[in-house]
Amino acid sequence: MAKTTPYAKSSWDTLHNNGPFPLKTLYVTELAGSANMFSKYDRYNDAALEIQRLIREAADRNEGFRPYGSSWSLSHIAHQKDNMHYNGFMSIHIPIPPALTHENSSYANENLFFFECGNTIKRISEVLGSHGKSLKTSGASNGQTIAGCISTGVHGSALNVGSVQDYVVGINLIVGDKPTDIVYLERHTKPALNDDFAKKIHATVIRNDHLFNAALVGLGAFGFIHGVVIEAEDRFLLKRYVKKIKKETALALADTMDFENSTFKIDGEVDENGKPLRPYHYKVFINPYTNEDEYVIEIMYKKPYAIPYPDPFPVIKTSLYKDLIYLLIKLSEKFPKSIPWFIKQLRKTILPEVNEETLGTLYETFWDAPYQGPAFACSVGIHHKDSSKAYKVLEKMTQDEGPIPGIFAMRFVKQTEATLGFTKFPITCMLEIDGVLWEKSRKIMSLTEYSRRMIEVLQENNIPFTIHWGKNSDWKFPNLATHMFGDKVTEWKKYRNGLLSTEMQQVFSNGFLEDVNLNTPNDTNDDDLIVSL
Amino acid sequence: MKSINKTFVKWSITIIICCLFSSCYSVRLKNVYGDPMPDPVSDRTDFYRMQKVQEIDTVITIKVTDKDFTMLLKECGTAGIHTVEYRNTFGGVLLSAVTFGRKRRVRVKYVCMKPTN
Repeated sequence: MAKTTPYAKSSWDTLHNNGPFPLKTLYVTELAGSANMFSKYDRYNDAALEIQRLIREAADRNEGFRPYGSSWSLSHIAHQKDNMHYNGFMSIHIPIPPALTHENSSYANENLFFFECGNTIKRISEVLGSHGKSLKTSGASNGQTIAGCISTGVHGSALNVGSVQDYVVGINLIVGDKPTDIVYLERHTKPALNDDFAKKIHATVIRNDHLFNAALVGLGAFGFIHGVVIEAEDRFLLKRYVKKIKKETALALADTMDFENSTFKIDGEVDENGKPLRPYHYKVFINPYTNEDEYVIEIMYKKPYAIPYPDPFPVIKTSLYKDLIYLLIKLSEKFPKSIPWFIKQLRKTILPEVNEETLGTLYETFWDAPYQGPAFACSVGIHHKDSSKAYKVLEKMTQDEGPIPGIFAMRFVKQTEATLGFTKFPITCMLEIDGVLWEKSRKIMSLTEYSRRMIEVLQENNIPFTIHWGKNSDWKFPNLATHMFGDKVTEWKKYRNGLLSTEMQQVFSNGFLEDVNLNTPNDTNDDDLIVSL
Repeated sequence: MKSINKTFVKWSITIIICCLFSSCYSVRLKNVYGDPMPDPVSDRTDFYRMQKVQEIDTVITIKVTDKDFTMLLKECGTAGIHTVEYRNTFGGVLLSAVTFGRKRRVRVKYVCMKPTN
């Protein structure tokens, strides 16, 4: 039997110390041992019953319940003031035999894998690697759990691929404590697995594009994500270059995404006509406090997997004294004008080394990121055509009203189908500023004030935008969700309303959903909404 | 004269602090593969944030006839070790020196590998 240990806690914090936030009880569930329960499906279903028990207990106390994984989100999206559930030990993966593939599936059976919620990106990559497969993309590192990634929209800079949620093809949710409250969702236009699979996990199948897309980036509000089916692809290599290029060229590439006709070219990364290839990944690093005429960029090209290749891992890694970082921040709070100087001195630690070249798998390229102390990140999504315009206005605001201890970066992500996915533009430029968390002083504004100014400045300049759900912002900004997503908010709420009872909507709500006004049920309740199409 | 003395004392303290600082360092061995054992209840704010860390802080005595010293670990089971850190301190070096190497301060942290399912 799965075992849950409750811990009485007064607070909980994110990995990057963006809290602390108040809490009553932290639950940690561990699966039944494989020696006692041989079948993986049995262990998985046993864990589902345990989660249902915890959900019922929370509901009976009129309290909330929220699962979380690696605590990597910097916003308070993972926090719930009553009951939080750590699901990192719920990490089964189950192979999908051809017999379980849907007859109308367009996916190659060998590319479909089923993972329980607590599997990290790193673990999933290792499992896939052992099958000669790879994830299509990941974030900049690998510690997030798969359920956390899709709930918040974790992305890399794969401009032709998308975010983590975009290769999820099936979702198993626990939306209550009744046997019928275990559901398995797929898109009706792209079924992946047949009903026999759903039977094995004791789930009711619902194949419905609208419901699936609403639940895909569900912000933890669509119930407990117990497992997901993902589509992998053949293992590949990424050739990574770090270059310093003219500012105008870097921004022109961001605005146009026209790599093929750019003056920027890397030897060997051209087609048969000598035109530059379209990269897999493009990232621009920008220090807002210098007026250099060149930016550092990171660009990667996809290559077929072939061995041998040089070991991409450095043998030795060093890190800054944490006390030194703390000292710099304390000085920055007292003397903010010193921030640009500090950033300049630390540029070798902050930025990748120019002219660096590596070759490795996705797993090796986006590897571990060690904890470096309290951190912040504010990240807005804009149409890539607005990249340079948005950067200019945010740079000006940061220079005029800051400085703050961080630097900007741009990453580019293909459009998602998720209803509330923040990568909603055809190619979304994720324009982010991240750095070391500071405290407001007489001379430096607070992080919330800074992120509020980001929203105001983008609105004043009529630049449509979204905000990364897992990063810092002024989440209480009036009408923020509606401003970002328009009618999609109503659609998302409608499907949440249909899938979850009013009681369960309260259980799976939290302060974050209240702040962005996504917790309240819709007035409408269409009976025929939650059906297979 | 007084000012020369003050300068001398200041510089001496600075040099001693620098020596102590550099004699106190960590060497860490980390497995490239696998996840570290998580500890969701831990509040630590160092490199091992949210990881289940096992710590050994002891003084061992080595006899003249002993060639080496093996400490047996049971916590990691069959999953193995993810990270090991050895810390060297000025006090440890001093202890070893004054006992002619017979007593050694052992300060080790390690994190087991998260078991896979």
